[in-house]
Amino acid sequence: MKPLLKLTDVNSYYGKIHALNNINIEIYEGEIVALLGSNGAGKSTTLKTISSIIRPKSGQIEWNGKNIVGVPPHKIVESGIIHIPEGRRIFSGLTIIENLELGAFTFRKDKKWIKEGIERSFDLFPRLKERSKQLAGTLSGGEQQMLAISRGLMGNPKLLMLDEPSMGLAPIIVQEIMRIIKEINEQGTTILLIEQNAKAALRLANRGYLIEIGNIVMHDSAEVLREDDKIIKAYLGA
Amino acid sequence: MEIFFQVLIDGLVIGAFYSLIALGYTMVYGIIKLLNFAHGDLYMIGAFVGFTLLSLFTGDGGVNTGILGLGVVFIGTMIIVGFLGMGIERIAYRPLLLAPRLSILITAIGVSLSLEYSSMIGWGASYKVYPIKLPNDGIQLLGTQISFAQMGMIVLSALLMLGLRLFIDKTIYGKAMRAIALDQTACSLMGVNVHRIIALTFFIGAFLAAGAGIMSGIYYGTINFLMGFTIGLKAFTAAVLGGIGNITGAMLGGLVLGILEAFGTFYMGGSWKDVLAFGILILFLVFKPTGILGAKEMERM
Repeated sequence: MKPLLKLTDVNSYYGKIHALNNINIEIYEGEIVALLGSNGAGKSTTLKTISSIIRPKSGQIEWNGKNIVGVPPHKIVESGIIHIPEGRRIFSGLTIIENLELGAFTFRKDKKWIKEGIERSFDLFPRLKERSKQLAGTLSGGEQQMLAISRGLMGNPKLLMLDEPSMGLAPIIVQEIMRIIKEINEQGTTILLIEQNAKAALRLANRGYLIEIGNIVMHDSAEVLREDDKIIKAYLGA
Repeated sequence: MEIFFQVLIDGLVIGAFYSLIALGYTMVYGIIKLLNFAHGDLYMIGAFVGFTLLSLFTGDGGVNTGILGLGVVFIGTMIIVGFLGMGIERIAYRPLLLAPRLSILITAIGVSLSLEYSSMIGWGASYKVYPIKLPNDGIQLLGTQISFAQMGMIVLSALLMLGLRLFIDKTIYGKAMRAIALDQTACSLMGVNVHRIIALTFFIGAFLAAGAGIMSGIYYGTINFLMGFTIGLKAFTAAVLGGIGNITGAMLGGLVLGILEAFGTFYMGGSWKDVLAFGILILFLVFKPTGILGAKEMERM
């Protein structure tokens, strides 16, 4: 089987900082892949490089067998890769419905898709429905994350990349978010997940990559990673 | 009382011009945080392109072009100048979007001078008489004579502003504009072609300024290549007055400034007109820099 997304020897820079050093990642259709690592290891940079917010200095990123390095971000979204950024980045001054509509920007001519997508979002997160006409900035942190995920789904992703969806949320909300991610995956969307909360991530994922100072230092199935001494010490807490 | 209404109507017409220009200022500021000091010159170019198109229609003779011909001139001019606004963004501003703010601000001043002096070369330095004469008749309202031309200008301005408000509020492109003003990167991640929406913003700003340009040509009767300078600053004042970045604020700020100026001119004399406008600007900058409807940043983590 060919990977859906394949990063080969990718090098990215943040100004002068060499943030990604010959990164190799493969993601297969239908998987949940976790990207683990501490702050500043290069996890977010990896996602930003895939979604073309950052252009890699060298290396290849193949999506469905086609190199997508240098393709502008909005075209990446059109091709089915959707990146839900760290910190949620919802549009606080727009209503919840407007946020969702913008999530479907690439489907802007398809009124039916937008209408159905909004209904699907409300089925997934009924709390959003009650506040559909409110400004998104008035939502709680957990609700904002729900909106960010729904907004991402409005673009009909084949690959959904989530950057720290549990950040700053209460444990019970984290559980709900994780359950929803599982559900999205079961409905056929491939997932690339960044999590500080390695425990939760490895419970959900099929496979994981560990990244340290810009290098992939380990990759294996989630079961193996859960039992690995190094991971337990550094990320799962003994 | 008659005089009061006469002054009020005059203020409304001038205020409508200010509003239309202030909208372009405020939209561009909202979306890329640039004070586009070349914006007043697009109003001037609008007046000149309208002048040229009208001359073609009337053969310089001041013959009545009729409503249809006038409509064609308006739409044609606004579209031409709209594309000019887009071109300016593409050539002068886009390469500097990531540069320090000062570079792009100085570039805006350079663009302003380029527009002014290329117009001088193209159309000449002297005042041009606008090749159209509108009938002076009108109606009596509250003891005041209001001409059809004045009414037409107020109505046209109101329609343009209403159209813009609907565009910004209801269409996906308008929503994308508001979203870009909040978070450009997040917009890219939604599949929005940010550059194209910014270009559209420049188009609309220039389109509206050009409309104001033709109307002022018709209203005052003469145009000149430096006419955009002062009115650009006034529109900037109007935008600050209403709250820069705020669409409704720009409309309101323009009307308030126009009316204040009209009354100020009437009671204190024409020489005080600019002092009054810029005095208001200074007062607002000192005491309420966010303007009447200034955006309150709303954020919650």
